Amino acid sequence: MGVFIVGMFLILRAIITPAFEELELSAAYTDLIRAEQAIQTDIDNLTAVTLDWAPWDDIYEYVSGRNPGFEKSNLIRPTLTNLNMDMIAVYEMGSQLKWGQILVDGEERPLADLGILSPADPAFELLTRHDSPDGGVIGIVNTSLGPLLVSSQPILRSDYSGPVAGAVIMGQFLNVSRLARLRERTEVDMTWMLVETYVVEGERELSDIPLGELPVRISDEAVTNCVVLADILGLPYLLVSSKTPREITWLGQKTINAALLFLAVAGLLFTRVLWWFMKGTIIGPIERLMAHMGKIRKTGDLSDNLNLDSDDEIGLLAEQYDKLNSEVHETRAALLHQSFKAGKADTAAEVLHNIRNAMTPLINGLDRLGKAHNVTDGLHFGEAIEKLADPDCDPQLAGKYLQYLGASFDHIAAVNGEASGDLKIVVSQARQIVGILSDQEKFTNVAPVAENLVVDEVMEEAAHVLPKDSQTEIDVDIDEDLTKYRVRAHRTGLLQVLSNLILNAHESIQRSNAADGRISLSASDTVFNDQKMVKLTVRDNGTGFEEDVRYKIFQRGFTSKSQGENTGLGLHWCANAVASMGGRIFADSQGEGHGAEFHVLLPAAQGG
Amino acid sequence: MGDRHNDENIRVLIADDDEHILQAYREAFMDSESTQEIRALDALAAELFEPDKTDDEEPHFDVVACSQGDDAIFLAKKAASDGHPFDVVILDVRMPPGIDGVEAGSQIRKLDPDIEIIFVTGFSDMPLEELQRRVPPPMKLHYFNKPLSFSQLALNVANLVREH
Repeated sequence: MGVFIVGMFLILRAIITPAFEELELSAAYTDLIRAEQAIQTDIDNLTAVTLDWAPWDDIYEYVSGRNPGFEKSNLIRPTLTNLNMDMIAVYEMGSQLKWGQILVDGEERPLADLGILSPADPAFELLTRHDSPDGGVIGIVNTSLGPLLVSSQPILRSDYSGPVAGAVIMGQFLNVSRLARLRERTEVDMTWMLVETYVVEGERELSDIPLGELPVRISDEAVTNCVVLADILGLPYLLVSSKTPREITWLGQKTINAALLFLAVAGLLFTRVLWWFMKGTIIGPIERLMAHMGKIRKTGDLSDNLNLDSDDEIGLLAEQYDKLNSEVHETRAALLHQSFKAGKADTAAEVLHNIRNAMTPLINGLDRLGKAHNVTDGLHFGEAIEKLADPDCDPQLAGKYLQYLGASFDHIAAVNGEASGDLKIVVSQARQIVGILSDQEKFTNVAPVAENLVVDEVMEEAAHVLPKDSQTEIDVDIDEDLTKYRVRAHRTGLLQVLSNLILNAHESIQRSNAADGRISLSASDTVFNDQKMVKLTVRDNGTGFEEDVRYKIFQRGFTSKSQGENTGLGLHWCANAVASMGGRIFADSQGEGHGAEFHVLLPAAQGG
Repeated sequence: MGDRHNDENIRVLIADDDEHILQAYREAFMDSESTQEIRALDALAAELFEPDKTDDEEPHFDVVACSQGDDAIFLAKKAASDGHPFDVVILDVRMPPGIDGVEAGSQIRKLDPDIEIIFVTGFSDMPLEELQRRVPPPMKLHYFNKPLSFSQLALNVANLVREH
C-alpha cells in the first residue's frame, strides 16, 4: 500500500503538477494580453473622441480664424472634464498653437509643462503637423508629467474635405488613477514603468530591451509577464507588466494533497479490510495449518487430520495436506515394518558372523583331530615288529628297530596330547556357539529400528542396569547437557551397549575396591569422516587398563574379568552393534588404577 | 621391492580380530614345520625301511599375524620396504574398533600391486562386485566365507603362489 501511495505521489508530481503550472502560465499570459488590450482600448477611445472633433466645420473655421466664438463655447474646462481628457490642444497649420490646456489632478496647467510640444522635441512635428487628411497619429508619448496616451488628428471639414487646417490633439495621462481604473476593469494586477527606469534599476543596456514580450518570471508567489510598448516615435518606452498570483498551482497542490490524503486513508481502510478478509479466508486457515504441522512435529502423530472445513483453495490445500499426512502415515508404518525386517536381517547377519567365526576354530580343531586319528598312517609298526620277531635279525638292527618303535610311540603320544588340546578348543567353540545363540535370545523382542533418540533419556534408562543392592557405593553423575544431544540409532541396541558399558564400569570399580566409586555419563558433538557425530562417554574410576589392551579389549573372547564374573554381553558384541548403527567405539585409560573411558560415536540425528 | 619368489617359504600376512581364529591360522599354516623329534623319526624310518612313494613337497609358510587393519597395513608396508614383501595377505572383513578389512586391503593394494589378497569373513554384507571395485584387480582378489578349513586354505594359498 505504501508503494502505491508513493507511486501516486510521484505520478501527481510528474504529470498533474506540471499541467497545473502550464495552465497557470497560460492564465498569466492572458492577464498580460488583457492589460495590454486595456491600454489599447483607452487609446482607441481617445482616438474616437479626437476623430469626432477633428473633422468638424466649427473647429475648421476656428483654426482658419473665422470662428472666434468657438473657443468660448467649446474650449473650456467642462469640455475636458466631460470628455475625461487630461489634455486638449489645437494647432493651426505651421504648428502654431491656437489653444491648449492640461488638467493635472483637477488643476489647470499650461501646455508647456508637458515639455514635448516645443519645436525642439522630436515628437512636436509629428503631433502638430499633418500634411494629409489621413495623417493622424496615436500612441503613447513621453512628457514631463508622465506617460500620456495621445491622439493627434488633422482638422478637416465635417465632410472630411481639406485642405488640412491644423491639428487637434487630445491626451490622457497614464497615472495612478488610470491604473486603478484599468486594474478594476481588467481585474489584472497590472502596472507599468518607463523602460528608462527599468534599465537603470536593473543595470541593463537600453539596446538590449526589445519591443514586445519579455521572458516570463516565476516566483513562489506569482507569475510576472511583461511587454515593452513603443512610443509614437517607435522607440521602447513603456514596460507594462501583469502579476498573476500562483493560485492555480496552490489550488492544484491542495487538490493533490487532498487526493493523497484521501488515497492514504482509503488505502489504510482497504488494507484493513483486506487484512480482515485474508485473516478469515487465508491467514487464519494457514495459521491453523502451521499449528497442526507444529503439533505433528512435536507428537509425531500423523494420524491426526486437520479437517479444515472450507471450499476455497485453502480448503483444497488442507484436504491435500490431510491426504499427504495419511499417505506419509501409511508409508511410515510400511517403512517401520520394512526397517524391522531389515533390522532382523542385520541381526541374522550378525549372528551368522559370530557363529561362522566360532565355527572356524571348531572345524580346524576337528580337522586336526582327524589327522591325529590317522597318526599311525606312515609309521612302520608292523614291519618293525616283524623284523624284531625274526631270529636272524642283526642285534644292532634290532636295537634300531626298538629305537624306532620307541620314537613312534613318543610321536603318537605327542599327537595325542595335541589332539587333547584341539578337543578342548572344539568343546570351547561349541560352547561359544551355544553362548551366541543364548545371547540372541535376549533380543528376541527387539525391534531394531533406527530412530532419533534423546541422549539423556537413553543414558538414564541404561543406568538402571546398576544393581541397587550394590555393596560398593557408586555415584552416577549424568551430565545435564545430555538433553541437547540427539543420535540416530537402534534404541534397544544402544540401550544394551550403554548398559553393558555402565555395568563394566561398575564391575571395574568393584574390582578396584575404590572407596569413592564414580561413573560419569556425558556427551559432546564431534565430526568423524566428515559426518556430524555425537560422542557418548562412560567414564569410571575403576581399575583401568594398560595401553597394550586398548585394541584387544574389543576382540571377541577378551576379558579382564575373573571366570564366572561375565554378566554383560561383551565388548566385542558392543563394537559390532555400534558398527551396525554406523558408529564407532573406542576406549581410553591412563593405565591400571587410573579408571577408564569408553566412547561411543553415533551419527547425530538430523535437526537435533 | 624384493623378489618375492626367491625364498622357499611362502610369506603370508594374516589379520583377524579373533584370537582363537588367529591361533587356528597359525596351526594350519605352520603344520608342516617338523620338530626335532619328528625329524629324528623320519631319519630312522629312511634308514630302516623302503622310502614312501608319497610326494613330500609340502608347502612351507612364514606367517605374520595381527588383529587390526591398521597393523596389517603397517606390516605390509614394512615388509615391502625391507625387500621381503608378502606373497599373500588374508584379511577378515570386520575388525572393530579399527578400520575394516576392505579398507586395509585397498591400501595394501596401493602399496603392492602384485600381492594376492584373500578376504575371509563370517559377515556376508558386502557383495563380491563391491569388493572387486574397491580392491582391484579381480584376478588377484579372493573371497572365502567362514567357516572353512584353514588346512585347505593353506593348500589353496600354496597353489595360488605356485601358479604365479
